[in-house]
Amino acid sequence: MEYNGHPLLTKGCDAAVSDKDNDMLKTEDKQPKKAATKDAAAIERLGVAAYRRASVQPTSTPVADDLGGKKRRFGHSDAEPKVKITRRTLYRQRELIYITIPFILYGLLFYYVPLGGWLMAFQNYKPQLGLLGSEFVGLKYFKQIFGDKVFLGVIRNTLMMGIINLVLSFGFAIGFALLLNEVRLKHPKKFVQTVSYLPHFLSWIIVTGIVRDMLSMQSGIVNEILVNIGIFDQPVNFFANKDYFWWIVGFSNVWKETGWNSIIYLAAITAINPEMYEAASLDGAGRFGKMWHVTLPGIKSTIFILLLMNLGNVLNVGFEIQYLLGNDLIRSVSETIDIYVLKWGISQANFSIGTAAGIFKSVVSIVLIFLANSAAKSAGEERLF
Amino acid sequence: MKKTITRLLAAMLTSTMLLGVMAGCKKKDEIKTFEMFIAMPGTELSEGNKAQDKLAELYGAKIKETWLTGQTAEEAIGVMVAAGEYPDMIEASDGYQMMVDAGALIPIDKYWDKYPNIKNYLSEAEWNMCRKEDGHIYAIPQFGIVNERDTSTLVNGEAWWIQTRVLKWAGYPEVVTIDDYFKLIGDYAAANPTHVDGTSVIPFTILCEDWRYYCLENPPFFLAGYPNDGSVIVEPDTATVVDYNTIPIAKQYFQKLNEEYKNGIVDPESFTQSYDEYISKISTGRILGFVDQFWNFGFTAMDAIKAANLEGCTYVPLGIVANDGIVEQYNNEPALDVSGGFSITTSCKDIDGAMKLVNDLLSEEAQTIRFWGLKDVDYKVDADGLFYRTPEMRTMSVDANYKADNLCPYAYLPQYEGMSLDGINAWRPANQSSEFFEDLAPEVKECFEAYGAKTYVEMLNPTKPSKPWFPMWSYSNDLTTETEGGLVWVTMGEVKHEYLPKVVIADDFEAAWDEYMQVYSERCDIDVFLADMQAEVDRRISVAEGN
Amino acid sequence: MSQLNLDLKPKMDLAARTAAENEPKKKRRRKKILMGDLIFTIVNTLLLSLMVVVTLYPILNTLAVSFNDGLDALRGGIYLIPRTFSLKNYKTVLQMNNLLIGARNSVLRTAIAAILHLGLTALLAYVLSVKEFVFKKPVSLFYVMTMYVNAGLIPTFLLFKSLNLTNSFLVYIIPGMIAAFNLLVLRTYMSSLPSSLRESAQIDGANHLTIFWKIYCPICKPVFATIALFIAVWHWSSWFDNMIYNRSNSELTTLQYELMKLLSSVSSQTSSGSAYGNTTQSVAITPTSIRAAATIVTSMPIVILYPFLQRYFVTGLTIGGVKE
Repeated sequence: MEYNGHPLLTKGCDAAVSDKDNDMLKTEDKQPKKAATKDAAAIERLGVAAYRRASVQPTSTPVADDLGGKKRRFGHSDAEPKVKITRRTLYRQRELIYITIPFILYGLLFYYVPLGGWLMAFQNYKPQLGLLGSEFVGLKYFKQIFGDKVFLGVIRNTLMMGIINLVLSFGFAIGFALLLNEVRLKHPKKFVQTVSYLPHFLSWIIVTGIVRDMLSMQSGIVNEILVNIGIFDQPVNFFANKDYFWWIVGFSNVWKETGWNSIIYLAAITAINPEMYEAASLDGAGRFGKMWHVTLPGIKSTIFILLLMNLGNVLNVGFEIQYLLGNDLIRSVSETIDIYVLKWGISQANFSIGTAAGIFKSVVSIVLIFLANSAAKSAGEERLF
Repeated sequence: MKKTITRLLAAMLTSTMLLGVMAGCKKKDEIKTFEMFIAMPGTELSEGNKAQDKLAELYGAKIKETWLTGQTAEEAIGVMVAAGEYPDMIEASDGYQMMVDAGALIPIDKYWDKYPNIKNYLSEAEWNMCRKEDGHIYAIPQFGIVNERDTSTLVNGEAWWIQTRVLKWAGYPEVVTIDDYFKLIGDYAAANPTHVDGTSVIPFTILCEDWRYYCLENPPFFLAGYPNDGSVIVEPDTATVVDYNTIPIAKQYFQKLNEEYKNGIVDPESFTQSYDEYISKISTGRILGFVDQFWNFGFTAMDAIKAANLEGCTYVPLGIVANDGIVEQYNNEPALDVSGGFSITTSCKDIDGAMKLVNDLLSEEAQTIRFWGLKDVDYKVDADGLFYRTPEMRTMSVDANYKADNLCPYAYLPQYEGMSLDGINAWRPANQSSEFFEDLAPEVKECFEAYGAKTYVEMLNPTKPSKPWFPMWSYSNDLTTETEGGLVWVTMGEVKHEYLPKVVIADDFEAAWDEYMQVYSERCDIDVFLADMQAEVDRRISVAEGN
Repeated sequence: MSQLNLDLKPKMDLAARTAAENEPKKKRRRKKILMGDLIFTIVNTLLLSLMVVVTLYPILNTLAVSFNDGLDALRGGIYLIPRTFSLKNYKTVLQMNNLLIGARNSVLRTAIAAILHLGLTALLAYVLSVKEFVFKKPVSLFYVMTMYVNAGLIPTFLLFKSLNLTNSFLVYIIPGMIAAFNLLVLRTYMSSLPSSLRESAQIDGANHLTIFWKIYCPICKPVFATIALFIAVWHWSSWFDNMIYNRSNSELTTLQYELMKLLSSVSSQTSSGSAYGNTTQSVAITPTSIRAAATIVTSMPIVILYPFLQRYFVTGLTIGGVKE
């Protein structure tokens, strides 16, 4: 079995290194350096000497792809051990299984048992009659949703905003983490990071107020700048134009969450082996080069897993921001599934139609996740399960 | 590092315990406490509220009110109904029908024989209007029950508002029609384009945010001289319902807005501004006029204008109509809303205690404490028994913290409006005319004088007695998409939300209007809706006639 | 890159050895790199400064509004400095009902949840990071799915009620213990550690719980700090569970719920046409100004807590970021 064989690279390091680099590193490893950090020192003390070796030493033979002959990555790709469930493996892994059982019971109880409530979508649910007593209406509410022409537009809006949000939030969070990581001075770095996460604590109602102020026709700073440098002749009413809305939503999200989202990448960057940078320096890479060729690939697995996860959330673009920024003139591009549900649900005690839309969103999410996951699998990349 | 964490945790735990000890100090009392949930947003009273304690001392019971927060009423009530657990008392708002269907409310009329204040609170005919299909009364309406006479000084409803400086500049002219109104503010803006703060004045703005778009959509029936029935016009003589969206006056009104939009009189941000922005804009005093209901801007923007001493920027109401010869009817009597109210639930263990408390709280003494406060603390009494307040008392009475600590109106319990039960004072300070005049700004006094009015109310035509079906909005508000009429009603709102702003900013008004009318007639089966409304009008008439 | 890959020795050696043939090329190249680094530093500084300005201005503006008289603020035109200074907004927020009980419960739930949830999630993540574990995939899938399915309010309420979690402090702690997102982040991090780390300990006879506690936990400190922060922030700012499950018990109230009540009551005061509107004395608080003060007050504790956790990030960052 693989874990008994040659120690594997950590994915974080592996991704950045070509075979030639590996050779070089291997050589370099012959001149060990003293442990640079407390953590590394602690590991040494624990007697896990393999740690350092393992983290820099490549597999002796690069795994070739059976099909296309292209390079294969390690870790979760198909190089993963295929373990057959036999009595013996079960016995050997009994400790892991014992630990898992309470977690499964917990998950069943708190996450899956309440899903019985999905019945509501197929009923004319009345709280006083309960789940068992309410009248079954079959697919009535699904038909009502999908029979409405407006709903198709709503799906389009939701999807477009979801995609724009996904792309922008990823781009900005990763970019910010990379740039911040390049700041060498301790205090400015701390300052910038602290500032960057502050907007996360503002509620949407405050943030949308800020966005409206900035984009206002009469006193907005954006209009002032654009008019002064001559891009526009006169102030533009951004909220009256359908073309801008999705982008306004996207960039509002960027403003609020970039710093917060970047925390996870910054933490991932800490896991990158410092020797990778030295190697890249030797290669003559400048700071940009190192950022591009070492840091970015070093957090690739984090990026992938977050991307997969968020793909499933692409329809969950919420309602608050669209509701607070939208208006009647651009209703046709601002309405999301959640708003649609609220609007129709509110006049009729909500529950059935809300549940139907919830099921729809869940199904779409799960389909997306499975598609993305199998795409990642066949590309040999990091994946969710 | 470990040390830091340990210390941090230790500090947290210590402070937590301290907080716990401090919070734990509470005195015991033998006063009954009823829990009440109000499915509306509101302010919780502080522990130890003075007026509440006084009432508790007098009647041996108090009510702990909790309010709706960040949820719809249906959601909150839905969860309660699903779990079968209720507070002792409830104002279920939109969840009322759900509570009735769930059998969660006690029939008030079964218990009221011992409690005359409750039984005599409404007339027999009015109680009949409150009865459900099974003949029982499950909720007591709290609002619009006027003792003796209406004492309103403020126009709380809708009007065309205008700044006093505009009227003064034009020498307090007669402003009757929509054309007069726009000509006046247009002329004023042309002559005085700059506001005191250096920005340009905005002659007219329209609020069009979500449900507050009534500021744009409902003026047609006012312009046509009908009262605020909300969803439809009801011809008073024949009691037939008419859709106001398609009457000629509606087209005339939107065409006028369209013209004025092109003239630059109507604020270009009208249809994109949020409620907050609208309020801020009005607060600067830059806006000369707009259509709105007073409660929507009066307690924020008007107060801001007063606080900033913007001379001449206070708004007074005008009863504008479409054409000469139409008689405006903006004022109306307080409406009795029978679609819900105060209820006692089946979870209440002491129904008689609850009934007794409600009964007691309807007494003269309790009403005075609820709405005026404590004697010599919140108000004083002069030799004639007339209540008055010192300036300090007035100041205190608007302080949110003071209110939470000292005043206890139990606003969602039954109450009398109009005159106090003592027959001398108004039911609350804001309606006391002596109190009102004390506060009036000189510019407003001058304006009132010019038009022969004494209060805001008198700037408009006097109230006419309400018709038995009034107000129809109390029916249409409760329409759901489960009925055909309700579905049409919701669709009408959709279409109007989408097309009315388009019509106003259209380059080609006629084409835009035709498109709107076409979509409107295609998507909304208006006859179904009108039939539904007509049935309700007929039902209300027959109930009022005692059938 | 390719050219230098062949060089196997450290810099100095290498420079000396290749001096003869490569000297001019090298120098030019090094210069180019230095220039490149300089440009990079400048661009980087500019971008981050821009970001700081764009981020900070609205927050400072909120701060200014929170210290400004409410009605005066409605007139707009406040930038970084309050125009009519007033502490009224803060007074209103801090005189809120049940402030102390709410603060106690918020601190307690945040601290307990951050430790307990992190510990349990990390343990499960450890199990799932064992590559040869036979149920790794199904268990991961089991929890990943929880991110995308939502049962709705009423079924959840009924469940909690039947478990006696309603009207109890435990409802803040027991549900939502394992957030799939955090689980996956931790799992990814742990499975990126070399498996030899675990294996050699296993050979020495350590069991999984020991390995998790003694070896993985110390290594995972930076990512633990991050996840703990995520959990803490979530618990600190949640109020919905309070409202749904513990509405009527003011002993169980939290700071955020009290704040939400305050905010929604302020808006209702100004829009419901309350009894006391007609007066020259300004009410002086408005939803906007109270919101501003509330925002500042609630973000404070996290802002204060953050630097403690950030120390871990900084420690981590020096591992990766600084050359020797």
